Parts: sequence; C-alpha cells; structure tokens
Amino acid sequence: MTAINRVRRVIVSPTVIALLLSVVLFLIGGVIQPDFLNAAQALNIVRLAAFLGIIAAGQTLVIISGGEGIDLSAGAVVTLGAILTFMIGAGQDSNIPLALAAVLGAGLLVGVVNGLGIIFLRIPPLVMTLGMTGVIQGTILAMTQGAIPGRTPPGLAGFINGRFLGLPGVIYLWLALGIIMWLLLERTPYGKQLFAVGVNRRTARLSGVNVPLVVIATYALSGMLAAFGGFVLLGFTQRVFLDLGGSYLFPSIAAVVVGGTVLAGGRGSYTGTMAGALVLTMVESLLRAMRLHEAYQMITFGVILVLLLSIYGRQRRNQ
Amino acid sequence: MTRLVASNVSKQYGAVRALTDGNIEIEGGRVTALLGANGSGKSTLGKIITGLVRPDSGELTLDGERVTIRSPKDARRLGITAVYQELSLVPHMSVAHNIWLGQEPMRRGGIDQKEMRERSGELLELFSASFSTRVTPTMRVSDLTPGERQIIEILKAMAWRPRILILDEATASLDGRQVERLFELVAQWREEGMGLAFVSHRMEEIARVADRAVVLRNGDTVGEVDVATTSEAQLVQMMTGGATAPHTTRQRAASGEKLLEVEGLSSGRVRDINLSVAPGELVGIGGLQGQGQASLLLALFGAEPYRGTIRIAGKRVNLSTPRRAMREGVAYVPGDRGAEGLLPVRSILENLQLPSWHRYGLLLRQGKAQADAMRAVDELNIKIGDIEDPVRTLSGGNAQKVVIGKWLLRKPRVLLLNDPTKGIDVGAKAEFYALLERLRDAGTAILFNSSDDEELLALCQKVIVLQDGQLRAVLEGEALTHENLVAASMGTAANGSAGRSADSGGRP
Repeated sequence: MTAINRVRRVIVSPTVIALLLSVVLFLIGGVIQPDFLNAAQALNIVRLAAFLGIIAAGQTLVIISGGEGIDLSAGAVVTLGAILTFMIGAGQDSNIPLALAAVLGAGLLVGVVNGLGIIFLRIPPLVMTLGMTGVIQGTILAMTQGAIPGRTPPGLAGFINGRFLGLPGVIYLWLALGIIMWLLLERTPYGKQLFAVGVNRRTARLSGVNVPLVVIATYALSGMLAAFGGFVLLGFTQRVFLDLGGSYLFPSIAAVVVGGTVLAGGRGSYTGTMAGALVLTMVESLLRAMRLHEAYQMITFGVILVLLLSIYGRQRRNQ
Repeated sequence: MTRLVASNVSKQYGAVRALTDGNIEIEGGRVTALLGANGSGKSTLGKIITGLVRPDSGELTLDGERVTIRSPKDARRLGITAVYQELSLVPHMSVAHNIWLGQEPMRRGGIDQKEMRERSGELLELFSASFSTRVTPTMRVSDLTPGERQIIEILKAMAWRPRILILDEATASLDGRQVERLFELVAQWREEGMGLAFVSHRMEEIARVADRAVVLRNGDTVGEVDVATTSEAQLVQMMTGGATAPHTTRQRAASGEKLLEVEGLSSGRVRDINLSVAPGELVGIGGLQGQGQASLLLALFGAEPYRGTIRIAGKRVNLSTPRRAMREGVAYVPGDRGAEGLLPVRSILENLQLPSWHRYGLLLRQGKAQADAMRAVDELNIKIGDIEDPVRTLSGGNAQKVVIGKWLLRKPRVLLLNDPTKGIDVGAKAEFYALLERLRDAGTAILFNSSDDEELLALCQKVIVLQDGQLRAVLEGEALTHENLVAASMGTAANGSAGRSADSGGRP
C-alpha cells in the first residue's frame, strides 16, 4: 500500500506533469518544424532553461513562504548582479571571487531590506519588492551614469558556455543548485519551517517557529540567488544593459507556478520549478521555431504566461 | 402585544445535537432571560430566532402567525433584531454610517448625510451621560472604546425600531455606568411594549433586569420561571438538573512543590490571575465560554503579551514568545485545529516534528525523525495510512492526536490544553482522557480548559472558574460539583457554598 502510494504521489506530481508537458511541446515543435527535433536543439533548450531556472530559485522560496509572498525585485537584482560582475570583474579572472562576494552581498542586502519592510513595517510583499525594483534601478543609474565601464571575465564566460563531457558548464551549475535547493527545502530545519510558515503563520508560531526570522531569511536568500543568477547570466550574455534581468521576472514566477508551487504558499518544490523553467523555455523556442515576427512572438508568449498563471493559480488552493 | 413563540425547535450539526426541544416565548412588555450552561443549546436557540441558524424542525410564530426566518434580514423585516457580543461594525466608517448601514436615509438618489447625522445624534443622546468623552456621529468607530462600540451596536439595532430585541451578552464590554444606563433604557423600552430577550453570564444582571427566565439544559427547554420568585440557587439547579453527588477523584498525594506558579497575571482578556499547578496535577479551567480562558492559556504559552509573574519549577521565566515557553517545557494544545494546531496540506511527519526539527541536525537525520514520529503514532494509536500523507486525510479525532503528539515528542513538563475535545467523536475522547491521566500520573502539570462541564468534573481534581476575565472560584474536593461550577460561572453561589471563593480564599 505504502509503496504504491508513494509511486502514485511521484507520478501525479506537478514536476512529472511539467516534464511530460515539455516533452510534448518538443514533439509538437518537431511536427511544426521537422529540423526542430534533434539532440543539439534539446540541449540548447536545457541550457537556456538553466538561466531561467537559476533565477527562479529564490522566487520559489519566497512563494512557498506564503503571506502573498512574491519577489518582484528579482529582475532588477539580476541586472544588478550582472552589472557588478561586469564592473568589478573588469575582464580579469582574478577579480571573479571579489565580484562574486560583492554580488552575493548586494543581493543579501536587498533581500534583508525587503524582509524587514515586509515583517516589521507590514508592507505587502508586492508593494515592497516593486518599490525595491525602482530603488535598485535608480541606484544603478546613479552608479553608472548610463555608461557602464567593465568587461566580462573570460574565465566566467568560459565556464558558463564551455563544454565539459559534452554539456555546457551552466547545466552542471544548475544541477548542483538543484541538489542544494532540494536539501535546503527537504532536509534542513529551515526548509521544514518555511513550509509551515507558508501554510499558516499562526500555527507555525504556536509550534515554536520564529516566523519573522524565517521570512526575512527567505527574502535574503531570494536576493542572493537572484544576484547569483545575474552573475551566471553575464557569463552567457557577456554584455550588460539596464533591462537585462527584467525580462526574466514574469517567466520566473510562471516557472515556479507551473512547477506546482502554490501561489498561496506552503506547498511546492524546486524540482518543480526546474521542470517549469523547461516548459517555459520550450514554449519560447517553439515560438521562435514557428518563425513568427518577433513582436508576435512576444505577444504570444505573454498570452501563454497569463494563461498558465491563471490555470495553475486557480488550481490547488490551500486547504 | 407582540408575541414571538418558538416551539419544539431542534438543530443538529453533523453528529452533534445542539438543540433537541427548544421552546421560548418572548412577549411585548417583558424581559425574558435565556439561561443555560455550556452546551445547553441556548445560543443555538437565540440564533434560530434571529435567522442566523435555520432549525431542522419545530415552528416559530409571531403574533399567532407562523413565520419562517431565513436570515437576519428576514428577522429585521419582522421587527426582530439582535445585539451580539462579536461586533458587526465597520471600523473605518463613521458612527452614523454604521448605525444606518443598510437603511440609510435617502434624498434625491443619494444618502441624506444631514438627516443621518441628526438621527444618529438623537440615538447617541440616549447614552450620552454614560460616555466618558463625547461621541459624535462623525467619529470613526475605530477610535471608540470597546464599551462605546458595543453601545453603537445597540443603537444600530434600535435604528431598525424593533418590536423584539435580543441582547446576547451585550453587557460584557460595558462599564458599570453604561450597564446602568442600558438597564434604565431596557426598563423604558419594556414599558413601551417592546419584547426583550436577555442572555448574560452574570446572574446578578439577570436577577435585576429579567421578568421571566427560560432555562435550557442539554438541548431541551426545562422550564420557564418567574425571576422575582425564584432563587438563584433554584435557577442553578434547573440548569444542572438537580443535585449531583460531590465528585470523587483519584487524587495523587499532593506534593508540596509546585511546577507552574502564576501570580497577578493580566493579559488581553484576563485580569490578576493567581494559580498554581503541581506535578501530576490536572487542573481544569471552567466557566462559560469566552470568559478569558483562551487568553490565559495563550499568555502562559508566550503567545499573548502579559503582565505578572510566572514561575516554572521555582524559576521565574519570561515567556515572551512561544519558542521561549517551549524551551521551558511548556506545550499548548489548541482546540481550533485548523487555525492553530495543524498544517493540513503538510505530511503527518512534518506536523508531528514541527516543534522539534532542530534536534535532528542541520542536515536532518530523516530516518531518526521518522522513527521518533512513528513511536508517537503508535503510542497515541493514530490511524494513518502513510506518515508522508497530508494531515487533512485524517479524521477529526486522529488529527487532534497529531496536535497532541507533536508536543508529546518533546516530553513537556507543563501541558496547556484549550478545549481540545471539541468536535471529536466519543471513542477518540475516551482515548484522549486515558492519555491525559497517563501524562498526569507521569508527573506532568496539566491545565485544561474545557467548554464541556461533564468533562471537567470527570477528569480534574481541581477546577478554577473564570468570569469576565477574573478568577471567580476554585472548586475542589467536596465543592467540585456541577451546581457549584455553573453557579460560579454565573457569578453566584449555589446553596450559598461555591467552594472557596477567589475573593475571600486567597491564592489557590
């Protein structure tokens, strides 16, 4: 009985459904455009999904934490992370550790401020993180005066894009993050308390959970992970602009939700988000394969995001 | 004269029969009190009259004509309005808007603000002498004291010009002067021919204001009496069903030491509570529901700010958060499982281990956590499929066992229970009682709030009774009878002997 239950739980899990969905989308791509269906294309999609997946990691934690939790500052923090890496890295591999430390520190700072505002000033997460977006963008402008000096360290670009045993480096990075995130959510006291806080904060508090600490730590982690996403993304784009991260914000939320993490909080997984990132990247690639005009690609992708969010948002509400 | 009669009404909620045979007559020019202990069905009967609850059977007649009341709106149309303790006011709206909500005076397609303010002013005038500061129609309700809000609630009911007015615990948050004024007005409205029903947990108020009393017990109306010619002791006897033998308990030899000592504790709803519980002692908290029992327990668990001294095993502790209380070995089992006790969508394992995860390392030793949780499942005989199943798949009784199990895993020294058997079946209750006795005999200090008087009498060696947030009586030994319990919860004495009264008997 028990074993069957567990198997059934895995099969009907949102992660598996999302993975199947991305395979189906891939096959549909093959029907539309026969040369879409090959291993190189599949690998390329997984590689692109890795960037979205890494950026969506922090968002997963924040959405699980409930209380209308959402991190709308993630896009701006991605940009900030990329720009800091670009400026501090300045084309020198020896600067990478310093750049990474600065990136993580900046992300941490943003996240802690978000968390403090949400917990102690009781500002709704939507408002707090949206306001933070403006603050970050303004800071970047003031810092750079529009012209951003610097260069991507070649070692970073080499690792992210280079192939190791046939796979791009970013995929290894993504898999490692996947393992860390699984451990964090399923095998640490923090993870268990995060789910509890997401389901019902009063119950969590009455079970001895330090709710403010968990929430602030979650926004702090989200800031750090988004900034790290910017660091990784720079290795891919090797150039920076003010709206670099912005285009990842909405897809990152969609990836979390398609992966079965409930918008109301308290339930979800990062493996689901990984599968969700695959689905969304697949949709984007499919639209590109259909050779639509770029404007129509963007419109269609936007409509699909809204559809996915409304379908999944309506399903499986808490309790 | 107006006459509302409810005859043979009944109401069942799931498996629980709240009201079997409820009867009441409310007549114009009379004040009828509705009396009953916890679970007697008096609040269900009150809600049926005002359309909040629809009866399963029975009939209501108004002035001899059969009526159906489907909603409070229906009731208001028939001239029946009610004032409840739980406030129905909109805090950010003005006094005038609240009073006239739903029947605003109109003029030329809009609300006639001037008319509304004037008519509100007239109503406020009724209580003007009892307000400590002036209350005007344009003030926001959120700026008023609880007592003033309660008065606005009464005026709101009066704005419907009712023929029948039900006051359900409407005096609970009023101060002495305001109660006096309300009673003057009640007398005046009665003279004008209004029919009033009055529910209160203060016997003294019933004796003062009511003409007749309808008494309920176990879902039945057991009688209607003339208040002036009936003694309080007789009323209590009607509420409890006659003499019960003094309760005998399997008393453990009381050791002198105390595990939990509380001195002068005040919090949200309670004032100046003194009590102590010895290891191996099961102390009950009684009284009508909502007299501060939950507030007391939450304060002792660090979940509500308090003033006063709490000692655990002789050491003074500062319980500023539930975490701190937990570290001192205090556990709190709530009755409201959905809101306070469980995470329905999470697994049984996660629910059981939620307070204890930090004991399994930074990288959790899942196997050990699972084995420990399984031991609690076996010990409590919780019927589960898989420990990874969500808790919402469990029945009420098994779910409540999970709430208790998560604290048993921490072996608490002090166990606080807040009406834990509400809504669980008889079998699970019996198991639960056996468990409590086992824990008590193992030396746990237990403080047990219950809305079920029978349960308190059957389990506890000692029961403290709260009324209006104050400790009214400590009942133990010979004095621990249902009569004394009910009498104390109404602030009176049964046959003149309500055990040791808290006012005269010093610390329990």
